[in-house]
Amino acid sequence: MKLRWTLPALAAVLALAGLAFLLRMTQNVDTTLHNERLALLRSADNLDIALNRAFTQTRASSLTDAAADRSKITAELGATLDALDKGPKSLRGLSRALDQRLDIFLDTIDSKFELGFDFEARSTLLTQRAINAVDAVPGRIADTLALLPAGAADDLRTQLTQLQTQIINYGVTPTPTNEPEIRATLNALDTLGAAQPDAVRQRMAELRALIEPLLADKGELVRMYRDFLSRPTAPQLEAVEQAYLGWYEGQLAESNRYRLLLAGYAGVLLLVLAWLGLRLRRSYRELDRANAELSHANDHLEDEVEKRTHELSAALDELRASQAQLIQSEKMASLGQMVAGVAHEINTPLGYARSNAEIVRTALADIRQLCGAQQKALQLLTDEAAREEDVAHALSTAQALGESIDAGALTDDLDGLLADTDHGLSQIGELVASLKDFSRVDRSRSDLFNVNDGLESALKICNNQLKGRVEVIRRYGALPAIECSPSQLNQVFLNLITNASQAIGETGRIYLHTQAEGDGVAVRILDTGSGMSEAVRARIFEPFFTTKPVGKGTGLGLSIVYRIIEDHGGRIQVRSAPGKGSEFAIHLPLRQRRAATDGATQAADAMEAVAA
Amino acid sequence: MSESLPARARVLFVDDEPRVLTTMRILFRSRYELFFAESGSAALELLKTQPVDVIVSDQRMPGMTGIELLRAARELNPQAMRILLTGYSDLNAIIGSINEGEIFRFVNKPWSNEDLTTTVARAVSAARATQAVARRSDDAPAPTAAAAPGVLVLDDDPQVPPKIQAILGGDFRVFGARTMEDAVGHLEREPIGVVISDTRVQDNPVVALIGTLKQHRPELVSVILTERADAGSAIDLINQGQIYRFITKPIHDSQCKIAVNSALKQHQRLAQSPELTQRYEVERAPQPPPGSVPANAGLLERVKTLRSWVKRWV
Repeated sequence: MKLRWTLPALAAVLALAGLAFLLRMTQNVDTTLHNERLALLRSADNLDIALNRAFTQTRASSLTDAAADRSKITAELGATLDALDKGPKSLRGLSRALDQRLDIFLDTIDSKFELGFDFEARSTLLTQRAINAVDAVPGRIADTLALLPAGAADDLRTQLTQLQTQIINYGVTPTPTNEPEIRATLNALDTLGAAQPDAVRQRMAELRALIEPLLADKGELVRMYRDFLSRPTAPQLEAVEQAYLGWYEGQLAESNRYRLLLAGYAGVLLLVLAWLGLRLRRSYRELDRANAELSHANDHLEDEVEKRTHELSAALDELRASQAQLIQSEKMASLGQMVAGVAHEINTPLGYARSNAEIVRTALADIRQLCGAQQKALQLLTDEAAREEDVAHALSTAQALGESIDAGALTDDLDGLLADTDHGLSQIGELVASLKDFSRVDRSRSDLFNVNDGLESALKICNNQLKGRVEVIRRYGALPAIECSPSQLNQVFLNLITNASQAIGETGRIYLHTQAEGDGVAVRILDTGSGMSEAVRARIFEPFFTTKPVGKGTGLGLSIVYRIIEDHGGRIQVRSAPGKGSEFAIHLPLRQRRAATDGATQAADAMEAVAA
Repeated sequence: MSESLPARARVLFVDDEPRVLTTMRILFRSRYELFFAESGSAALELLKTQPVDVIVSDQRMPGMTGIELLRAARELNPQAMRILLTGYSDLNAIIGSINEGEIFRFVNKPWSNEDLTTTVARAVSAARATQAVARRSDDAPAPTAAAAPGVLVLDDDPQVPPKIQAILGGDFRVFGARTMEDAVGHLEREPIGVVISDTRVQDNPVVALIGTLKQHRPELVSVILTERADAGSAIDLINQGQIYRFITKPIHDSQCKIAVNSALKQHQRLAQSPELTQRYEVERAPQPPPGSVPANAGLLERVKTLRSWVKRWV
């Protein structure tokens, strides 16, 4: 009962848990966070670009402004990077590929920051030195030009003027070409200057000493910021973004999968619900129908009861008829068995009696012959006219015959045979008498009867089953005659003794005890047979219960016994021990109460009626 | 055991009623040397020391029944002929005595002196004529496939012959017949050694056919296979048909196989020693009332003309 409720409840809880789980799994994509992360990435990108631009513009703007710009951008970028690395919007821990790329990017940008700091430190000094050098160059060139004789050394002048222009340009914006151009002009000046006087050469050497460090400083600055710009932060950041977007796509796909699962699961749940609903509906319908039938049946109850009663009484009649028939067939079966046994008992004495009679008849022929011969001899002896030879012949013939027949021995034999025959016939007579005793057809049904006589006549009837195999030990007490139906009681005794004999396998004993007991007599029939189990014992008086093979017993014998004893107002009890034997104890009252006698009479009447 | 025959035949009577023994003594004393026992065990004791030609025993005796006695006597003294005297026909007892006791005759109580003396005389002459052969009967060879005679199955049920063939295996040929006509046809054409038959075929009892066969083809051995066993017909079949075995349906493979094999062996034995057939001589069937011609009279005439196949395979 408990299980009946626990199981469905458990199933419902499980179904709900499944639903909740699937719902939770579809909610794993947070769009706001995603957008914020994307914004972070964009701003990092923008700040990086801004930083690069700030460096590129160094030369164009005033030194202090540029430095201030750069440090502001750097600080913003640093904050952005921190947000990407840790905190609620961080990209950390989402996927391994993303983590790797983020690490690469952060390493790169850190080294870029270091470069930036180096640059800040060097650029002020170098730039100042370069500005000073550039500012000094026109003065030196003017000095040199002043030393040159007028009109002479035009080439040198041109070169010097060109150098001045080149240096000024270089000071404003160093380009990849202008350094080699300056070196080319310097070399050209060296060549041209070789022919010049020492003072000029002296000036030109000073000029070169001024320009060389300028070129070196300027070159270092250019290398530094090129190096800064060349850090691959932008592609790396893009790789980070790609990885993040890839992870996000994955999340989306997973969420979609769960959504699909959720849909399927919901569908199944719906189906189950629908099925449950259907069942419910069907049981309601059945309930309705049952209700309808019930009310219908209620309406027709009386008709039905009447019809059933009719059927039942018909069935009862049928049952009664078949019971009577069965009782009859049981009677016929036990009668057949009895007759077969008695037939054998009768056939043996009948056999030798008949055979003896034949022998006697045959012998009589011999005796008759002898008598004839003797008669003839006697006649001749008394006849005066008879001749001597005839008399002698007749006498010798009679004598020879008498010797061959051995009349003395023969008559002794015949006496013996006739005595045997007598015995056989009286045995047959006894058997017939015991049959008559047993059947008691010549006595009324509520006669006064001694139970000991009944046991004896039953024993005679089944003697052939017991003879030589079963020892019968009689312990009869002095009994008052009781009022009963002797033929029915004899049937009871025969049945019980036959059963006892059948329960005994090879050899054994049957004890018959009787004694007067209060208001009646007690009969106990015990055997040393196979006994029976408790299960068999409990059922033996049931009609049709038999332990014999099909066709060997109707299973009615003991139920008839039980009925006869009940009809007599008596009791029958059975005790048994398997392997040891059984005991049937019967108590019969001295007098029949009127009603009970009627019952017994009725039962007997019924039996007589079917037998007739 | 002495090889020379005693001058007078020796007959043992067993009955628990001494008056029956008295009667027997007076009836037979002039003809045979007589022995008497009042119980099976006493009879067996006597048989251990005295060879007899014929045993006549009552069936119902305390301690040991006649069948039990005759079965034990058969072991002890196989050449003695066995006759059972019964006052009450118990089917199981009769079937047991056929199969286990190999009875020569059943005699019902009360008996007629004439019939009893005739029966005993027949038994005596069979016993004495075959004494020498009977002694060596137990070492008859087992039937071999080469000389295997056929088995004829006479039954209303067409399923029985194939079933028998299946039980016997391929060593023996089984012929099925559903009418006596068919059966005689097979007997005319085929070397049949054993006939397995129901007690009735097409509602006609087979006892006359089997009896006639036994008279004219004494080496043929019959086995009855039936579900309609009754004591009376079993007694007729033994007395008038000398059936060798009586088995009941449903067919139990091993029981059937043992019965048929031993019947084939018996056939072999009879074929080899024709003088033995005296031991299985049958009573003449009671003459039909004058004027009535039995339905199968023609058939029985045909049976009488059957030639023996014995020479073919001996």
